[in-house]
Amino acid sequence: MAKTRHYDGNPQKNSPALGATLAYLGVNGLLALLHGSQGCSSFIRLQLSRHYKEPIPLNSTALLEDTVIFGGWEHLKKGIAVAADKYKPQIIGVMSTGLTETFGDDMASALTSLRSERPDLVDLPVVLASTPDYIGSMQEGYQLTVEALLTTLAEHPANTLDQSYAEQAPSIALLPGCHLTPGDVEELKEIVMEFGFKPITIPDLSISLDGHAELEAAPVVQGGTLLEDFQRLPKCSACLSFGLSMEKAGDFLKQMYEIPHLNFPSITGLTASDAFVLALAKISGKPIPEKLLRQRSRLLDTLADYHDQLGGQKIAIALEMDLLYSLASCLVEVGSELTVALAASQAGIHRLSLPIPIEVGDLETFEERAVHSNLIIANSNGRQAAGLLKIPHLRAGLPVFDRVGYPQKRWIGYEGTQQFLFDMLNSLG
Amino acid sequence: MFTNLTKLDLKDKKCMSDAGSPKLCMKALPGEGAERSCAYDGARVVLMPITDVAHLVHGPIACAGNSWDNRGARSSGSQLYRRGLTTDIMENDVIYGGEAKLKEAILEIAARHNPKAIFVYATCVSSLIGDDVDKICREAEAGLTIPVIAVNCPGFLGDKNIGNRIAGEVLFDRVIGTGVGSDEKIPLSINLIGEYNIAGDLWGVLPDLKNLGITLQTAITGDAKFDDLRSAHRASLNVLICSKSLTNLVRKMEIRYGIPFMEGSFYGIHDTSETLVNIAKALGDPDLVERTLVYVQKKEEETRKTIAEYKKLLENKQAILFTGGVKTWSMVSTLAELGINILAGGTQNSTPEDFQRMKELMDPSAQIIEDTSSAGFLKIIAEKKPDLIVAGGKTKYLAHKTRTPFLDINHGRKLPYAGYQGMVTFAESLTRTVLSPVWGLLKQEFPPKEGELDG
Repeated sequence: MAKTRHYDGNPQKNSPALGATLAYLGVNGLLALLHGSQGCSSFIRLQLSRHYKEPIPLNSTALLEDTVIFGGWEHLKKGIAVAADKYKPQIIGVMSTGLTETFGDDMASALTSLRSERPDLVDLPVVLASTPDYIGSMQEGYQLTVEALLTTLAEHPANTLDQSYAEQAPSIALLPGCHLTPGDVEELKEIVMEFGFKPITIPDLSISLDGHAELEAAPVVQGGTLLEDFQRLPKCSACLSFGLSMEKAGDFLKQMYEIPHLNFPSITGLTASDAFVLALAKISGKPIPEKLLRQRSRLLDTLADYHDQLGGQKIAIALEMDLLYSLASCLVEVGSELTVALAASQAGIHRLSLPIPIEVGDLETFEERAVHSNLIIANSNGRQAAGLLKIPHLRAGLPVFDRVGYPQKRWIGYEGTQQFLFDMLNSLG
Repeated sequence: MFTNLTKLDLKDKKCMSDAGSPKLCMKALPGEGAERSCAYDGARVVLMPITDVAHLVHGPIACAGNSWDNRGARSSGSQLYRRGLTTDIMENDVIYGGEAKLKEAILEIAARHNPKAIFVYATCVSSLIGDDVDKICREAEAGLTIPVIAVNCPGFLGDKNIGNRIAGEVLFDRVIGTGVGSDEKIPLSINLIGEYNIAGDLWGVLPDLKNLGITLQTAITGDAKFDDLRSAHRASLNVLICSKSLTNLVRKMEIRYGIPFMEGSFYGIHDTSETLVNIAKALGDPDLVERTLVYVQKKEEETRKTIAEYKKLLENKQAILFTGGVKTWSMVSTLAELGINILAGGTQNSTPEDFQRMKELMDPSAQIIEDTSSAGFLKIIAEKKPDLIVAGGKTKYLAHKTRTPFLDINHGRKLPYAGYQGMVTFAESLTRTVLSPVWGLLKQEFPPKEGELDG
């Protein structure tokens, strides 16, 4: 453990409820309702907004002092009812906070009670994700929320499969982790489509948080996975999940629909991309498309051209676990040396391995330990460390607010790996 | 343990019933999407710009992790205030209590960062699990040579505004008047209350104060040094900038230290001049008054001359004004200076008094924005079709989807808008926004209707 202090200095963590918000933002017609005080939702909106440069629809149950005494159970019922009546969402996605988890609001019983009082709301799908602020980071909140989305919507009574529905192409379920940007998710879908699959992506940030100008004047999520997409999950020929944090969600689909599930802890780097592409070829029974072979060939040429610069780097990296592993393993593969690897939380720490130990730590620790590195990779909050150490800083993760275009970056697959290495080398100045 | 809310000058009942008036101390309805913030945030906003102290948040990651170093309050010296420090309360702390951890954290931060003082913020979770932040601060302080100050302001106490006032109480009780030096009044010196030095706003006003021979003791708080704050009671006058959110503080300072207070604003030419003249008058130096009258006239002429070309470009544009912070009413006259009409105005997080003042300044035909949620905001844009929107960053990206020019006037901005120089910067920014060619590109129909291609 890197952390022997009793405080976090310049934390790299974001709250689990922020991760939950992010997962909900990839589902069309959903209204996210945070069960907590107004500050909880306000900070999340601000943080996500400065990263994505997008409006972030997020409602709250606006808890005040009285709820500390009486609990927030009634507020949650009221919040769901008001949000449903005022905004007419297709789905409501609730996430809890440290406040409500500490006084132990039973969200499920609040929903049951509300539905008995308001029979008209029985058919409105309501997803409940338990994301106390004091357990984990963004990645955990996102993971728990994707799992809650799948378990709730796969079994919801309104979710009956339309038997007349005919697939034009074999479907494949994709579960991207929160380490993938909207640009990455789009790339992921494109690669899968190269093999003739029709992807069902949950959640799909590539069509909700991709920063497009069209938007209806409604404060619910626009774009993202359709409610109907959840109905089509049983028809999928396989499920692919990305990032170790998505493994459990993929296993759920595997058991629920008896389809094969493959988890890819990383799809950045040559070896990782190869594994992904070979798996697609195997599942589809098709040869690897010429386009991808060409991209692979270009990546190989880049590796040859820049092997010397790639090999000479001492890189310190601090990110949420799945992204940390993806980028770090790619760098190791091309001969860079890792000096520090700090994850935001424990998730997956015993299962993912790098040449140096992965530890949990904040950016103050990072600053102390990255001294003899010549590049740091961290979110924008790493700027204080970079400034003090006078080391170049490649922005990655969340939030990235002081560099343009991060949400559109594609750092996965052959082409994305090449772009990542270009960005890394260019950041050295 | 908590500040008694009835002592916080919440005497605004008269305007409570007004449609669109911020519901200070009133309950927001769950699920309505009011999009305000919490009391902890309010306290943080006031105290974080004290630059040479450590700000330690005793809470889970949601309170500090999502928000550290995210405001535009700038410092001319120490950068310590930008460091995100939190006890990062974890599950075990919730079960066993976080007091021991907090005490260790305070001692470690004192050793590692060498702060002038440590402010410790209680949060919802630390309050619920019963951690006695006041007690821990007292205990830790006993072993240190610096003040350790508890800010007991968990988010559930209410809106941001409540938090502003509690921060004022903390400054009054624990900081102001605690210096070791002289208590003597400094002639012609003032405190600016509620000036946070966003994007360097304060620095735009300092040259004018200096030219007039007025000393700034401290801004409460913007680019503030702890020792200057301790001696804030030596100022001859308190100037409450733009907002009444720290009225409780200036009232108490008047009673205890005999410092009179006045209100003012440095947004816009008219308000800047008026404020400078009023400061001179309040300081009671006839020479200064005379100097100031001449000075402001000269500055007004210069500034008006500089912005004349911008005014020509902006005149008669129709705006929607929607502020989330302290600039509720001063922005009305700033826009008027540029010949911009306000179609509709609204506010979040301001006091009802500020709101009332904004209402009085606006043209009676201007509409008050009653529904302050995103939905209400979008509706009013669709109805009014303004030429521009002037608002806080929270609504920026939503406004962009309506393809309407938008200027951020709150804490997310990069440029200072205060004082005469700020007015020029504001006019430049606004012109750049309104006249940007991108809005035309955004509104072009694509693909064009048939026949239009041949043009």
